[in-house]
Amino acid sequence: MEQKKSKGQSQRYLNFSLGSEEYAIPLNAVKEVIALPEVTSVPYTPPHFLGIMNLRGQVISVIDLRLKFGIKAETTAETAVIICEMGQHSLGMVVSSVNSVLALEESEISPKPEIHSHRNTDYIQGVAKKDKHLVLLLDIVKALSAEEQAAISRATGVKKAA
Amino acid sequence: MDDFEKELKSGYLEEASQLLADAEQCFLSLEKASEDASIVEKIFRLAHNLKGSARAVGFMDIGEFTHQLESLLLKIKNKEMQIQSSTVSLLLECNDHLRMMVDTLRTDMDARVDSQALMAEIGRHLNGEVQSEEAPESLELVPPPASAFEEEAVTEEVAQVEEIQASEQEEEVIETEVSFDQLTSVVENSLREEKHRLELVSSGPAPVQPAQPQKTATPTGPVDESIRVSLKRLERLMNNVGELVILQAVLNQQKHSVQSMLMQKTIDQLAKITKDIQDISMSLRMVPVKQTFQKMQRIVRDTSKALSKEVVLDISGEDTELDKIVLEQIGDPLVHLVRNAVDHGLESTEERVARGKSSQGTVWLSAFHQGSHIVIEVRDDGHGLDAQKLIAKAREKGVIKPNQELTDEQAYHLVFAPGFSTKTEITDISGRGVGMDVVKNNIQQLQGEIQLETEKGKGTCFRILLPLTLSIIDGMVIRAGEERYVVPISQVHESVQPEGQDVHFVTGLGEVLSLRGENIPLFRLTSVLGRKTVPRPVTESIAIVIRNGKSPFSILVDDIIGHQQVVIKRLGHGVQNMKGISGGAILGDGRAALILDFNELASRATPATSAITSAVMKGAA
Repeated sequence: MEQKKSKGQSQRYLNFSLGSEEYAIPLNAVKEVIALPEVTSVPYTPPHFLGIMNLRGQVISVIDLRLKFGIKAETTAETAVIICEMGQHSLGMVVSSVNSVLALEESEISPKPEIHSHRNTDYIQGVAKKDKHLVLLLDIVKALSAEEQAAISRATGVKKAA
Repeated sequence: MDDFEKELKSGYLEEASQLLADAEQCFLSLEKASEDASIVEKIFRLAHNLKGSARAVGFMDIGEFTHQLESLLLKIKNKEMQIQSSTVSLLLECNDHLRMMVDTLRTDMDARVDSQALMAEIGRHLNGEVQSEEAPESLELVPPPASAFEEEAVTEEVAQVEEIQASEQEEEVIETEVSFDQLTSVVENSLREEKHRLELVSSGPAPVQPAQPQKTATPTGPVDESIRVSLKRLERLMNNVGELVILQAVLNQQKHSVQSMLMQKTIDQLAKITKDIQDISMSLRMVPVKQTFQKMQRIVRDTSKALSKEVVLDISGEDTELDKIVLEQIGDPLVHLVRNAVDHGLESTEERVARGKSSQGTVWLSAFHQGSHIVIEVRDDGHGLDAQKLIAKAREKGVIKPNQELTDEQAYHLVFAPGFSTKTEITDISGRGVGMDVVKNNIQQLQGEIQLETEKGKGTCFRILLPLTLSIIDGMVIRAGEERYVVPISQVHESVQPEGQDVHFVTGLGEVLSLRGENIPLFRLTSVLGRKTVPRPVTESIAIVIRNGKSPFSILVDDIIGHQQVVIKRLGHGVQNMKGISGGAILGDGRAALILDFNELASRATPATSAITSAVMKGAA
């Protein structure tokens, strides 16, 4: 997930779609891409947390990135799971489709547009142009650590309520 | 430095750390049984090996130091000197020093270490406490009585040295004076493999050469040979074995669709082997707590010496096995607890006598299985915690508000509060009170729990409960609604199929199951887990009775599917540390399932009891 690179060197990104929107994450964070497996749901988790799955003997969490970003989730033949490395654990992210690998020069990445909203958009690192589309570059750790925070606060909330 | 020399040196360092670990155990047992000549003999041989090889490979600092040390040992061996506890302290200090030297040399083979201070100390011991007519430095001291054996061994092997090895190394050795030692060491270093083979051959009882010096070079003996494997690789192995087992299960299910008898037989055989591989690979990560516990001997000794207290450490359950990672991480907290027990827990000797206790304090260190936990206890027979003193201290430190009232139980848990130390003066033994909260954190990071029991005047007991995370459990696979779950069999007391009249609804309590005249609460798993399903009639469900918690209760599930050994997998992102879910597992058909902790789930379902239990469990910390 390191973004450090010397000038003029391009970095590779995995480009994927969530609904009709295009996103990309650094390729070196990606372990593999698999088809949507059977997922076991976990109680007391938000809807976008699909549950846990077996990846060759490892139990890993699966989230639906579409639901996470409030995009309608439709399961098609294109639907795939991107397995990425998150610290000690792996994590599966369900996306609408995996498109291609992009090699982007630093100069091709523009800063994210300032949006005046209360919504935290820290997890968007920048925007790149691909053909005529805009591709949002995601910082997956930031996008999900906010998530984790929410999960933790929710868990404590439950404890207090109990 | 050429490659050959480098190899020799690193080989030596490897060996030296082994020897030192061995020596430390010997020193400690020496203190207990100073009369035991065989221990002295063993230590002497260890030091001797260390010295000889050090000079041979060119570590002159170590050579010089061990030479001095050897002179001391020789006196002890020849009974020219009494073993006192100060002697053992000195020996241990030397051991530490040597270890430090070895570590330094490991990073930099040309490093020089100054040992003058310690050598002078040894000199004082040599001269001061025994009327020694010989100067300690005298090399004539060196040929030890054991040399008869060595001579045999050496002459026997010198011939081989000459054959196998270039004379260059030998010349160098001979130049550095003493003969036999060096020769032995050359043999040791250059003929390591040869020797190893010899050792294997002569590993049985060797009555003719009981003091064969080479034997001590590999202290673990050829029987217990081991290699180090990185945990990462082990993890990969475990994952693959997990997958193998699942595929095997599929094969077993499908084998009847195959016509060929040979194929069916092969599948059966494969099943056996798979089971074997699974068992072995699962046991790979588990190590006995023995080594960690033995290290505590040293801690107790040093601590009690520094405080001039008489303390015995009583160890039990050292064969209990723990996951390697858990064991490594529990090491430091244990050291803290043990030190604390000796320093804060036990009274001074005078105080003990004044209170009519035996002057010798005892610290018990034990490990055992309890339900789905592994328990490690550190107990002392000291003065126990004083709630009032703790509260006063906490007020003074501002840990609690001045007018805050605490129960005794809550007061005891103040010791885990950050920045809290009960001793008025700071000692360099137990540190500055940074210990206990760190201990607690470490244990909680392992998803364990620390409990505290204390009785004034009788002693204190810290109990570390470690879950069997990362390890294997016997699981009961159950079904509720669409999903299957795993419950540790150790939690299950019994399972019953209730009759219609056994289940009643009581306002305020919810459903109650009458079980042979006893009324216990009944929870439906689906609703405890917040699943929306159409409730099944109780007569078609199974009630699982749990009795290892505070009070018995039962949980209603749709079906019991079977029994399976599962590896507990830690859950990752988003589902860590969820109450009631202790991990994930992979079922026979390859699906991931959750491992449930019914006790926690039940406390979640009943607000009243959960408040109480969580207060008790977590204490006031």
